[in-house]
Amino acid sequence: MFKQVKGDENMARVFLKNVVKKFGKVVAVNNVTLEVKDKEFMVLLGPSGCGKSTTLRLIAGLETPDEGEIWIGNRLVNEIDPTKRNVAMVFQSYALYPHMTVYRNIEFPLKMARVPKEERRRKVIEVARFLGIEDLLNRYPKQLSGGQQQRVALARAIVREPEVFLLDEPLSNLDAKLRVKMRFELRRLLHDELQTTTIYVTHDQVEAMTMADRIAVMNAGKIMQVGSPIDVFEKPANIFVAGFIGVPPMNFFEGTLIEKQNNLLLDLGSILFRIPKTYYSTLHPHVGSEIVMGIRPQDIKVALEPQEGSYEGKIVGYEPLGTETYIHFTINGIKEYVAVIPRGMRISLKQKVYWKPNLQKLYFFRKSTGEAIY
Amino acid sequence: MRPSLKLTKMGWIALTYFVLSLFAFIYLSPFIRSFVASFMTWEQASKYPPEWIPNPFTLENYMKLFRLELFPRWIFNTALYAGLIVVGNIVFSSMAGYAFARLKFPGRDALFSALLALLMIPIFVTLVPNYIIIYRLGLIDNIVGLALLSLANVPSTFLMRQYFLSLPQEVFDAARIDGCGPIKSFFYIGLPLAKPALGAVAVYQFLGAWNAFLGPLVFLRSPENFTLPVGLSFAFQRSMWTEYTPIIAGSLVAAAPTIVLFIALNKYLIKGIVVQAGKG
Repeated sequence: MFKQVKGDENMARVFLKNVVKKFGKVVAVNNVTLEVKDKEFMVLLGPSGCGKSTTLRLIAGLETPDEGEIWIGNRLVNEIDPTKRNVAMVFQSYALYPHMTVYRNIEFPLKMARVPKEERRRKVIEVARFLGIEDLLNRYPKQLSGGQQQRVALARAIVREPEVFLLDEPLSNLDAKLRVKMRFELRRLLHDELQTTTIYVTHDQVEAMTMADRIAVMNAGKIMQVGSPIDVFEKPANIFVAGFIGVPPMNFFEGTLIEKQNNLLLDLGSILFRIPKTYYSTLHPHVGSEIVMGIRPQDIKVALEPQEGSYEGKIVGYEPLGTETYIHFTINGIKEYVAVIPRGMRISLKQKVYWKPNLQKLYFFRKSTGEAIY
Repeated sequence: MRPSLKLTKMGWIALTYFVLSLFAFIYLSPFIRSFVASFMTWEQASKYPPEWIPNPFTLENYMKLFRLELFPRWIFNTALYAGLIVVGNIVFSSMAGYAFARLKFPGRDALFSALLALLMIPIFVTLVPNYIIIYRLGLIDNIVGLALLSLANVPSTFLMRQYFLSLPQEVFDAARIDGCGPIKSFFYIGLPLAKPALGAVAVYQFLGAWNAFLGPLVFLRSPENFTLPVGLSFAFQRSMWTEYTPIIAGSLVAAAPTIVLFIALNKYLIKGIVVQAGKG
């Protein structure tokens, strides 16, 4: 079995300290500090243009930071050429060399490192066997399917036995079914079998949630939150993370927090939402200010008849997914919200429904800063 | 399909063929005229209105050509000149194109703009300074000296740059991470991937060098150093008149390699045009 062996002195921790990268006037990476522990599978997650790929390229050495420090293991690598950083990268397009066979592609980094020919051959065959691409060695990249090309790109990365794997949206060019399969395989291969520090960039939160030890959510060049998948889902640090993680996205209700007879109420304009006592001590200091309440679509119960504590809404659209259905509803014709209902519930457009949130699963944020209050 | 639609479509096809054939004839007629004239006597070839059937049919023009002692030498000189220029352009233009497309260095874009500005300077302006340089180097009347002036040129560099720009950046990034500095990246990745563009550069430069007239006329003096176009003109130009039919025959013989090359490699020429029309 192809396996990497590392001593303690060669801990592959990656540490970014106050890193800034600008392209002209655009700040792509804005004062990012992030620690990726040895053997950790870290996912950088964020929308397009949030700076996650630039962060990865900075670690690889393909871009130079304008400010800050980048450490790999015990080395400050700011001034170290990418060829000497001992990192391997898998690109979104796989970036296989089209004029070389699969064998030559995998062999290439070893050849550049002046590894003797016999050893190169042994390693290429070993890694090809490991990834199940042994019979593809004489083919050219254009003769391979997307999944096969991806394995070759992985093989080329693995064969060097790098300290750190950097993966830039490696699954986004695959079809949906293969993506699910490869998601599982990649995690097993890089994390469970090779036990190598991995930094994985994606905009797909399902990939992030299923693969990561920890997720760093990025937006507009900044890190919004770093935590385990469950942490970022259950305890989002701000409105952005709350809205970005979760499918369908969290519903937000903006209003003024008021107090009446020792009860906290959220004035949403059309309705007065009564906030349970559980939140009283945390929210009380914010009475009189504008806040945002978040409710995940899965935490909204929908009924066709009025229930105690339910609010009226009107269905404006629905998306049946087979296992469940997303319904889009409005309250008094204003903003649109989403709820998840079980399959089998008979609904139709413009129908009246009665929705009731799970009162134990409410989120509150400051409207002015977006920071989480609860 | 309805009959009327079918008729309209056929009408359009017929019209297209007619227009294309007409243009093909207009473009080919000088070549056809040269071909038939090469088998005519000078009296018949110079008649007006022109005659199209050789009468009497004669091979004398070709005989005159092959009786020229220096004819093989001129072919050799032309091949040497074209060969040097092709090799020089492949080496230097690909390197320069790669540097302009893929390397980051201060003043890169300004330098490239300056290079493009050279295209606007007519060849006649640079002829005298170039002559002085070659003269000072003691390379007048020398094929190598003449070739030196064209070992790299702006259109080839431009074509190579455009081609390197059209290759995906990620492949070069991958090479960099795999251990390639800029030079290894050029030789292991850039150059092998640039074969179509190199083919286009080679074909363009070969055609240009093989048919070149002005440069060899100015820089070469001795008949044994002439290239074919200059040699033919020298051999059949008299003080009062020019014997055109042997020159026509010679031109056809001289054009033979370029025609063969064009038929064999026209996909590279087309590729070259596509690349130059690509992103800037």
